[in-house]
Amino acid sequence: MEQRVASRAGRGDPAGTGGGSGGVAGTLVKVVALGTIVGLAVMLTPALVGTQQWAFLIVLWGIVAVLAVTYATRRFVPAKYLVPGTLLLVLFVVYPILMTFQLSTTNYGDGTRTTKEVTISRIIGSAAQQVEGARTFELSVGSEGTATSGPYTFLLMDTGTGDIFAGTPDGIRELDPDTITVEDGVITAAEGYTLLDRRQVNELSQQGGELEGFAVPTEDGVITAQGFSAVELSSPLEYDETTDTITNVNTGAKYTPVQSGDRKYFTNADGERLSDQSWGENVGLDNYVRAFTDPRISSDFVGIFAWTLAFAVLSVGTTFVLGLFLATVLNDARVRGQRAYRSILLLPYAIPGFIALLIWSSFFNSEFGLINNMLNLDINWLGNPFWAKVAVLLANLWLGFPYMFLVCTGALQAIPADLKEAASLDGATGWTNFRKITFPLLLVAIAPLLVSSFAFNFNNFNAIFLLTEGGPFSPDNPTAGGTDILISYTYRLAFGGAEQQIGFASAISVVLFVLTGVLAAIQFRATRTLEEVG
Amino acid sequence: MTQVNPQAGQVTSPSDLTDPAQRGETSKNSPAGNKMSFGRWFREVGWRHIVGIIAIVYAIIPILYILSASLNPVGSVSATSVLPQTFSLDNYVALFTNPDRPFARWFLNTMLVAIIVVVTSIFCSALAAYAFSRFRFKGRRGSLLTLLLIQMFPQFLAAAALFILFTSIGDVLPAIGLDTIAGYILVLLGGALGQVWLIKGFFDSVPRELDEAAVMDGATHTQLYFKIILPLVRPILAVTGLLAFIGVLGEFILASIFLRDNEIKTLAVGLYGLLDADRTNNLGIFAAAAVLTSIPVILLFQYLQKFIVGGITAGSVKG
Amino acid sequence: MRNSTKRNTVPSLAVIVGLSLFITGCSGGGAAETAEEPTEESSEQPAVRGDEDLIIWADPVRIEYIKEIADTFAQENGITVGVQGIVNTRADFITANSAGNGPDVIAGAHDWIGQLVQNGAVEPLQLTPDDLAGYSLTAVQASTYEDQLYALPYAVESVALYCNTEYAPGTYASIEDVIAASQPAVDAGTLDVPLILQQGELGDAYHMQPLFTSGGGYVFGRDAEGNYDPTDLGLNKPESIAAAQKIASLGETGANTIRRSISGDNYLSLFTEGRAGCMVSGPWALPDVKKALGENYSIQPVPGFAGMQPAQPFMGSQGFMVASNGKNKTFAQEFVTNGVNSEESMTQLFELSNQPPAMVSVREGITDEDVLALATAADQGAPMPAIPAMAEVFAPLGQAWSAIIGGADPTETMNQTHETIAQAIAG
Repeated sequence: MEQRVASRAGRGDPAGTGGGSGGVAGTLVKVVALGTIVGLAVMLTPALVGTQQWAFLIVLWGIVAVLAVTYATRRFVPAKYLVPGTLLLVLFVVYPILMTFQLSTTNYGDGTRTTKEVTISRIIGSAAQQVEGARTFELSVGSEGTATSGPYTFLLMDTGTGDIFAGTPDGIRELDPDTITVEDGVITAAEGYTLLDRRQVNELSQQGGELEGFAVPTEDGVITAQGFSAVELSSPLEYDETTDTITNVNTGAKYTPVQSGDRKYFTNADGERLSDQSWGENVGLDNYVRAFTDPRISSDFVGIFAWTLAFAVLSVGTTFVLGLFLATVLNDARVRGQRAYRSILLLPYAIPGFIALLIWSSFFNSEFGLINNMLNLDINWLGNPFWAKVAVLLANLWLGFPYMFLVCTGALQAIPADLKEAASLDGATGWTNFRKITFPLLLVAIAPLLVSSFAFNFNNFNAIFLLTEGGPFSPDNPTAGGTDILISYTYRLAFGGAEQQIGFASAISVVLFVLTGVLAAIQFRATRTLEEVG
Repeated sequence: MTQVNPQAGQVTSPSDLTDPAQRGETSKNSPAGNKMSFGRWFREVGWRHIVGIIAIVYAIIPILYILSASLNPVGSVSATSVLPQTFSLDNYVALFTNPDRPFARWFLNTMLVAIIVVVTSIFCSALAAYAFSRFRFKGRRGSLLTLLLIQMFPQFLAAAALFILFTSIGDVLPAIGLDTIAGYILVLLGGALGQVWLIKGFFDSVPRELDEAAVMDGATHTQLYFKIILPLVRPILAVTGLLAFIGVLGEFILASIFLRDNEIKTLAVGLYGLLDADRTNNLGIFAAAAVLTSIPVILLFQYLQKFIVGGITAGSVKG
Repeated sequence: MRNSTKRNTVPSLAVIVGLSLFITGCSGGGAAETAEEPTEESSEQPAVRGDEDLIIWADPVRIEYIKEIADTFAQENGITVGVQGIVNTRADFITANSAGNGPDVIAGAHDWIGQLVQNGAVEPLQLTPDDLAGYSLTAVQASTYEDQLYALPYAVESVALYCNTEYAPGTYASIEDVIAASQPAVDAGTLDVPLILQQGELGDAYHMQPLFTSGGGYVFGRDAEGNYDPTDLGLNKPESIAAAQKIASLGETGANTIRRSISGDNYLSLFTEGRAGCMVSGPWALPDVKKALGENYSIQPVPGFAGMQPAQPFMGSQGFMVASNGKNKTFAQEFVTNGVNSEESMTQLFELSNQPPAMVSVREGITDEDVLALATAADQGAPMPAIPAMAEVFAPLGQAWSAIIGGADPTETMNQTHETIAQAIAG
């Protein structure tokens, strides 16, 4: 003991008492660490400036500044403890939440992931058909300069006639076969051209490359590359920017953007859509309006909300009661085999949750399931709304009680034994002792966890989805299942149909987040007195 | 300095502080236990075993079923019973012999992710928890509640946003973009403060007099924190570490977005992919995988038990 | 004293670990991770990952053979190819493609095409009519959407009837005959069920489709060119309701053959363990059936109800598609239109996957009767509608089947379901 104390006293650097530094070694580590971070930031900066990633650059130096201010100065000691975790939280939780909010004000989702510009070019490009009696070619690419500099030419060999052509954006001309070497049906050399190898062609065809969108005009259409072949195509569609109209040259049909729901489609006068493709737009708070006014949601809401609450409360309640009970019972030093008990009771928690849930789901099969067979029951667990709810709670209890058991065991250890013993000396019985001393103290440490456990179960998508998928459903309402909680229900609305509506789903996420927060805040008010005990 | 030494020695055990006379009393139980009558033993201790055994039965039946399925070469839902009927290691062998599901690789990836995430988040959480427990600063309560609220946002709800975020990160730093283990670790580290509340609760129960004495003793904040406080809260660090570890092991939603290449998948996403594809006849293999996955958790728990069970008293210096 | 020494080393270790973490992990975001990167990753991963010249995404169960065919292509072209197994292939592909970090080629089912096209995620393929003539007509039809070919089909699949020849040795003309064949064994307690048609608590419209069509029902009508018409929803038509009534007669309140306890979780093991006479399932069940029953099984197309229409299951076509936003479009197009589009590659794919091939000439060389039977069954099917509206159908229709076999009134249920789906399609 003396040795330890002496060493501590010896290291006690008087200069360090005001701040968080721990002596010379500590200062050194700090300098090295901060130096490394600044160094890395400096290293990255040119690349970021080069690619014009300004936001990134600001975030990067913001982090450096925060770290430097926190650790290089002696101001505000708590920050030294809070900054590391908080930085991570802000970057990878808070920022995505803000982005989710931003997404919730758009119509982002299936059919609207692209900009209008891209959508138009996709629609026109996808309409391109091979022209009547289209020629197909074997394609090689030649460069009049070096392989990397261009200008480039498509060297085309007609697969039908074997004629050889040179194609550029200006047009096509036939080449003298004598100037060309052909091996295995592929042009491998051409006079006046440096031939590109396949990797080079691929690279130049990438986005921003010189061969991207390379097209050779012909009388009937254009020749474009299809891998290392080329084919003569033409698209009947034309877009006119001034009138914002796509015209089908063959039929004369004109398509203009018409609003439908949260998006616009190119639609003709008869109301026929040219394509299911739309484009991304800001929709303001429309997604929220929809979440609160959708007649399906409002008619189902009360029932589902009540069950969601019940599910969360009962999940927390049952797991906590069982976990605490077992922890208390086994927390007596006289119980032999404590270690063994604890190890075995932890097992349900050691199996990855999704595997356990899927296995539980098979246990509940009414005819072949383990539960009915072992207990000789004839309960239609997953087909009856009541029993399905019981089943979900039972499985969730099994999955969750080891957590509570573990947490309570840990917390019980923290309660000074002498407090209890002192009380016993005063004549308190085990139960009174538990109720008056152990439980309140335990609750101080555990109450916040109960609240977050509530929040977790309130949005416990996995438990519902992997066990019942929200079912059973009744045919008169196939959108709201017997075990659906808000999150599984609304996500089915957002993702279950023909379109993934990410904007709408984001709005729902935000609403659920707020709802969970409000509920948690209410619970905190209730436990505030407890919390202040500490 | 020397005059504060005895005091410093004392304060390392909170129980000493509250009741110095207590040490003599703790020994009373074990000798008394041997002489107890059965009736009294049962009333005080024996019934606990009964409760324990009932709990074990409840906990273990599904586990036995999984074990039994893993040892059954047919490995199907309907062919499996709770008690193993056959002992075949076929499913285990199959796990390690199919190059398209590199189980060993997934296992290592998972351990890599779990260890980095657990150590970092416990470290960050413990630091923050200490600040919340010991310092009184403006906005303390507000930040604590905000922290709790923010963490109620299930990260997977922000999957679309995370995807976009890491796409742009990957453009600048491909090493931590999508489809990298490092990027995935970072996302999980967003929850680095996940254990603050639990650890703070524990810090709160460590008497503050301890800090004051140590500061009088001349200890710096860093010394106080790493040398005195942290060792005292080992039980809760062990518990939270285990919780975080298990959390990482079971995470598959973000992993399925982040980890695409077979070589960098974690167990959860790798297995989920196969389970999703065919649940009916692959049960045996999944059961085997589940059994193997749970082994590190069990081992870790065995190792940590001494911290958890020993609690504070074992941490004190009683020579 | 012992303790005190130990207590000194542990915290100092913690400090070191902690501070190094600080540098690497805790600072988050930008700079710090590069320090972590070289040490953590480069030793773990070969440098090529992510830099392949061609990246293909597929369902994890299919990557085994797709990898082989991709490797062949890689060797021929002197490039590197990466094949990645993605759990939610379709949804993740759409997201990743629009973000510009998706694959170059995606392997998937033809009924994805509608949604993929809606998102502008795939590009039409330009194959010559000669090339297309080599493929089964239904497969080409299935892979064509709005007059453009989007997928190069390599395999076709639909459900067929597997029978355990120990109990049901024959070839059956009607579903009633199928059930009658092994009903005695069920009555004797030897078997659990005469016919497995997986439904589960949530129902399964895909597996019910052969019986539904045999009863005269239909989901979407088709126009003259064979395109599905989302405005012609047929669930409340008298024929569809009649079919639902026939199905109800086989349900739990009728013959108790089709029941909700038989689901995707247990259908196959019930059959492979010899607890059922016959089973309606697809080519994916074949390896397990073969392994479990040896020679004692047969495969034939699913027969219809006696005296009614032939059963027409949903036919699916597996194919390769070119991503619209892939990095290596040239290699992607080359892989799909020339690499796999050859008898040699298709033969290789068939030999590796043992799935009924879409290419006619490959089929001609097949002697395996199982595969031929599965191919015949697929040819008798109708392509699963690829139109986005189909996504609104599966869940509600499945729930309707679950309710009907559980004893709900078929007429009322079908009318309600029709209403629900029609509303959903209308938006």
